[in-house]
Amino acid sequence: MITKKGSFVIEGLENVQINIGKVGAGEEQIAEGPTPRPEIISLRSWDHRILDRYNAVYTPTGDTCDMCTYGKCDLTGNKEGACGIDLEGQSSREALTTTIQGAACHSAHGRHLLNYLIKKYGADFKIDVGPSNLQAPITETVMGITPKTIGDFIPVLDYVEEQLTQLMATTNTGQEGASRDFESKSLHAGMLDLLGMEVSDIIQISCLGFPKSDENAPVIEIGMGILDPKKPVVVCVGHNIAAPAYILDNMDANNLFDKIEIAGLCCTAHDMTRYKRTAKIVGPMTKELKYIRSGIPDVLVTDEQCVRADILKEAQKLHIPVIATSEKITYGLPDRSKDNVDDIIEDLVSGKQAGVLLLDFEKIGELVPKLAMKMGPIRKAKGYTALPTEEEMKKLVSKCTQCLQCTKDCPESLPISDAMVAATTGDLTKFEELHDKCIGCGRCDYSCPVKIPILNVIEKASQRVIWEEKGKIRIGRGQIGDPEIREEGRNLVLGTTPGVIAFVGCSNYPNGTKDVYDMVEEMIQRSYIIITSGCATMDIGMHKDKDGKTLYERYPGRFVKGNLLNTGSCVSNAHIAATTIKVASIFAGRKTKGNWEEIADYVMNRVGAVGLSWGAYSQKAFAIGTGCNRLGIPVVVGPHGTKYRRAYIGKPYKKETWNVLDGRDGSVVNVEPAPEHMMITAETKAEVLPLLAKLCFRPSDNSLGRAIKLTHYIELSEKYLKKMPDDWHIYVRNEADLPVAKKEQLMKLLEERGWKIDWEKKKIMEGPLRKVDVSFQPTNVPRLCKEVKK
Amino acid sequence: MSAKTEKGVNPEVKVIDTTRQAVPFDTANIPGPKMARAVMPAVSGKMLAKAKRPLLIVGSEISDPEVLARVVSLGKAGIQIASVGDSYAYLADKGLDAHYANMHALASYLCDPQWPGLDGKGGYDLVVFFGITYYYASQAISALKNFSHIKVISIDKYYHPNADMSFGNLKKDIFLPALDEVIAQLPKK
Repeated sequence: MITKKGSFVIEGLENVQINIGKVGAGEEQIAEGPTPRPEIISLRSWDHRILDRYNAVYTPTGDTCDMCTYGKCDLTGNKEGACGIDLEGQSSREALTTTIQGAACHSAHGRHLLNYLIKKYGADFKIDVGPSNLQAPITETVMGITPKTIGDFIPVLDYVEEQLTQLMATTNTGQEGASRDFESKSLHAGMLDLLGMEVSDIIQISCLGFPKSDENAPVIEIGMGILDPKKPVVVCVGHNIAAPAYILDNMDANNLFDKIEIAGLCCTAHDMTRYKRTAKIVGPMTKELKYIRSGIPDVLVTDEQCVRADILKEAQKLHIPVIATSEKITYGLPDRSKDNVDDIIEDLVSGKQAGVLLLDFEKIGELVPKLAMKMGPIRKAKGYTALPTEEEMKKLVSKCTQCLQCTKDCPESLPISDAMVAATTGDLTKFEELHDKCIGCGRCDYSCPVKIPILNVIEKASQRVIWEEKGKIRIGRGQIGDPEIREEGRNLVLGTTPGVIAFVGCSNYPNGTKDVYDMVEEMIQRSYIIITSGCATMDIGMHKDKDGKTLYERYPGRFVKGNLLNTGSCVSNAHIAATTIKVASIFAGRKTKGNWEEIADYVMNRVGAVGLSWGAYSQKAFAIGTGCNRLGIPVVVGPHGTKYRRAYIGKPYKKETWNVLDGRDGSVVNVEPAPEHMMITAETKAEVLPLLAKLCFRPSDNSLGRAIKLTHYIELSEKYLKKMPDDWHIYVRNEADLPVAKKEQLMKLLEERGWKIDWEKKKIMEGPLRKVDVSFQPTNVPRLCKEVKK
Repeated sequence: MSAKTEKGVNPEVKVIDTTRQAVPFDTANIPGPKMARAVMPAVSGKMLAKAKRPLLIVGSEISDPEVLARVVSLGKAGIQIASVGDSYAYLADKGLDAHYANMHALASYLCDPQWPGLDGKGGYDLVVFFGITYYYASQAISALKNFSHIKVISIDKYYHPNADMSFGNLKKDIFLPALDEVIAQLPKK
């Protein structure tokens, strides 16, 4: 039973306070499923079912292990190292470590926010995420409780932290050795990541006045070109809203929004706009170095996650003071939290200190606007920028020897020397093209043997397009509300809405940001529901149609087909995963509390949802994907995703792995591979679009839904790969599954494959793997079958 | 870092040396002690010609007409092609034994002795790569290197350390003639 702390005072004995450590909670806190607060192995059998079908596929980035002093050990060819672990085991251990890192990041973010918000608002502050009864779906499903106040999340994060410690312990040399069980643990860590994210976002939505399931959240500006560089400019970098909120409050109280420009980079930017709509967004992490080197920021405020390690060094060169506000990123700076604000400002303005660590939010709120007002005029008078003048640029590009070392060091292998050559003739268009594809990492600067500051040259040459970089995005709306699920859940489960596609993650794209825009546009026009979060949200908003409108201006933000929803920052990813739990609970009446396996089983077999993290770079993105996989949601990653070293790939040719049970009688049914993979990569935009459509198939689709999904799968394959998919027929169960417009043509193709067709009745007589059964109850969990129950 | 080289010399033709610059194209892509042997195109071609069931894997970087022409020549020589990424779009009308495949899934299937192949006729004893996003191909080859017994040859313009044999990093004026030399080793159909 879940319990709560309490205290009371008896009338007449006011001086006596009786504290009770724990008070029994109501019925709503009683778990409904078998696994409240699952331990490491509580869901192991579910994990193994996933792994039996979706085999872990390893693509090591290195063939050695150097984790302990036995090594380095050469594991090439899956040899064992000195401790007995082979390369498969080591690769799975790395996957687990990566997932734990991501989960720890989000959960520690949540812990910081929770402690801060409880201190500020009290543990009894009610959670409120909008018009929902199911306010914390992941918390309910994992923990078996229904949190009502932010204090109710204390035991949730206690649990996450305890489990992450247990998991981390298993990665030590001499602990776990089986890759299959490392993967089960990785799935566990991924689930914990979803939980940590949910806590983080629910408490900040509840306490800080963020939009609450607001489909009409306003559309705001984004881009490197939106700030007025003549004003003092404050840029906040990272993911944690706590410190920026104080700065925004101070600016609000002192009417400074027309005097100072304040904007964010990466997910802090999302949450700043959710907190105060007057804040602005420069862009994702890929813009950090580019924007700093432009010299525009007068003050940089860092918090946590996705903050470049070299920000202080870069800022120092341009006399931009750095205010570090998180104990997670301190840059070796002096802790000035106890000092007088004016003294700190004096030291920063004079250059005595390049930055400070400041952990007192009140002081941060007071200091940053004051500092910006002082630094702004000084810096602008000096004209600080890292970018070369036009004359300098001409000299720099002529130094290039076309050795290609920059291309070899560039994560995207960009053809930089071609742009250098073109620029010598005054043609800057190649650099302008590179600007969008360049992820702003700066590795090229280090690689150039003739010391050309390549990133600065790219940015200088692209000034024309940079100043036009003004997009729009809809402010993060938070969770999907229960009423929206009631309206749309049926369409999703039956397949008449072809699917939910989440465009999430970071900006390490293989070919620039435009691909992401194109993909969203293609799928939204096909009536998929598109949900976004994090940096992908920003990149989608940077491109426009011929009328100059972004996708956020063209498509509304409700959870219905053909809509585009921005949930918010990185931790808002929890709401995307939670949407599938809501469908299981609200539409299908499945019990949630402590019932992960049943919910995940429902999601995997019935909810056509798929995630695409086209530019995933971080451990956090991997953790999110792995958490989604444990919930039965397939995830596709861009080609860089192979460097995560592990995927979960289905084998359609192994028929026995596609057996499911019919929940009505426990009979075994061999079904089509749906969804075919749990985690996989694709090389290009053209390849990924039909793949996304395919991964929305589910065994539960009714014929109308299957026909709609099949239509998109075939059309996308024909459009982008110039071919009918080789496996389209596998998804045909009867003639009603065929797209109406192509029915006869497809029946002829089926006949050529040896299927028997009754042309008079226009019916398929023989050929399909199975027949359509509208009452079919697909499940991978034997205990959920009625016969087995008896 | 240098790799062991092997030069096949034919005195009657101008030698296209593909063993130079045999260092990982992505500077830091150094997997471990076992790295690909840099070979001359004739060696790759002979290996391909001798293979019982070879598979050519090409990807999104074959759109250049001169490169595409070489893919078609290899396909016309009777080698089955796995078109990964969006490369099928370039091969659709060429009358080749070409099959779309997802590179990541294909790497997984190639490691599975039970996989019936792209045409249901069984697995492969040799795979030859080129025209795929460098780092993407490198990771896929890493799976084959460590978890399969299939021989892997890269005939790409990049040095692929995870392959068994690879060309060095080549400029186009070497790369295209090198492909021609590979093709020249194949039996005429």
